[in-house]
Amino acid sequence: MDVLGVIQANILTPVVLFFILGIVAARIKSDLKIPNAISEFLPIYLLAAIGLHGGLEMRNAGFSDMLIPMLTAIGLSLMFTLNHYQILRRLGKFNIFDSYALASTYGAVGAVTFSVGSSFLKNQGVESEGYLAAILAVLEPVSFILAIFLTNMAVSKQIKSKKQSISVDTLDNNEKTSIEQNKSNLSKVLYESITGKAIVILLGGIVIGYFIGDKGFDSISIVFDELFTGAVAIFLLEMGIIAGKRLDDIKKVGLFLVTFSILLPTFNGIIGVLVATALGLSLGGAVMFGLLMASASFIAAPAVLRHAIPQAKPSLYITSALGITFPYNIIILLPIMFTISSMLHDLEAPISLFNYLSINL
Amino acid sequence: MKLFDVKLLTVTCEILAQKNIIEILNKHGITGYTLYEVDGNGSKGVRGQGFKNEKNVKIEIISTEARLKDIVEEITRSLFSDFAIIVYISDVQVLRPEKFI
Repeated sequence: MDVLGVIQANILTPVVLFFILGIVAARIKSDLKIPNAISEFLPIYLLAAIGLHGGLEMRNAGFSDMLIPMLTAIGLSLMFTLNHYQILRRLGKFNIFDSYALASTYGAVGAVTFSVGSSFLKNQGVESEGYLAAILAVLEPVSFILAIFLTNMAVSKQIKSKKQSISVDTLDNNEKTSIEQNKSNLSKVLYESITGKAIVILLGGIVIGYFIGDKGFDSISIVFDELFTGAVAIFLLEMGIIAGKRLDDIKKVGLFLVTFSILLPTFNGIIGVLVATALGLSLGGAVMFGLLMASASFIAAPAVLRHAIPQAKPSLYITSALGITFPYNIIILLPIMFTISSMLHDLEAPISLFNYLSINL
Repeated sequence: MKLFDVKLLTVTCEILAQKNIIEILNKHGITGYTLYEVDGNGSKGVRGQGFKNEKNVKIEIISTEARLKDIVEEITRSLFSDFAIIVYISDVQVLRPEKFI
């Protein structure tokens, strides 16, 4: 199976074609637009469908083997976030706030990307583990919490050192209130991201899917199963329009960030596929795991970061995540990861994994 | 019909600053306001297209000049540097001043 062939076949799927149509429509300044209510509804629908499927499969397959992949995913996500920060801060010379905001945007997961991945696998006729939906839900706040915590630490450190250099007692009160503010900020962000609509509907879907089972799902499968790929296509039309409008902004984010937003997801995604394969996930499961690692958040990120790290420029993290990484992930990286995962899974023994790689590279 | 002079504070800001504004209002004892989602154009480009997170809101508050000035002062201090915000105060007349004090 050659990569280019898979990429080519992927471009000619309805989901990707609708995305491209959206970009074209935005570029020619068409007034084509998905009504607001629908574009707000679709992510909720997609998450509900993903959750239900996850719940169903967890009921059938059990979720005792979920713990290790989930902890690995959390660990990787945290490691990647720290890694991004170092790259952005040292090589990219971004300020502390932008670095942390971007680092967590790329450490976090994209629910839209996940939906596209699901429909891609459906199209290929490949199954994936149901508990990946639960991992999606758990990963959503992880990277933000780390970035916000570290930003707060850095800020209070700065305030402290400023206080020492001036050594005026009047600063004492200010410092205390600002540290307290940071603490309450963090717990508020934690609370808000856990009770946010994405996580509530996703976890709710998983629980409902688990309880209703295949029998109960039959009665709603026409909405949550058969319509799924079509809904992803419509939603991607909207995403294409929004991304297309942002294409001009790409010049403003700079060459470094453009390169970052392509190389880092590739690296993270491929590591994700390798690790997932080593953990014994299926072909499709490894692709979805890789996609979780590769994806960047662009719907949840602004809502969280605008409050938690308001100093960071949203135009940087939204434009790079939505305008560069998202199209790259769904058009090019997804087929690449699929190819890698199929190659790895053709081998029966996981021990020969590295031998095989060294021969091929 | 007797009319009483009070002030109207209008805040137009990005929707993600809405929560911060409401918090400030509550802190200053303001319980009544009107809020609506709006589109517009400004130094941060065309707003209100695309994601809901990128919309603007307009918040109107009627109260006494002293109280509104405190609020404006706090908004200026805590939000101006990080958020897209336009704030202005204008004269309005109301029938029942006790509602707005």
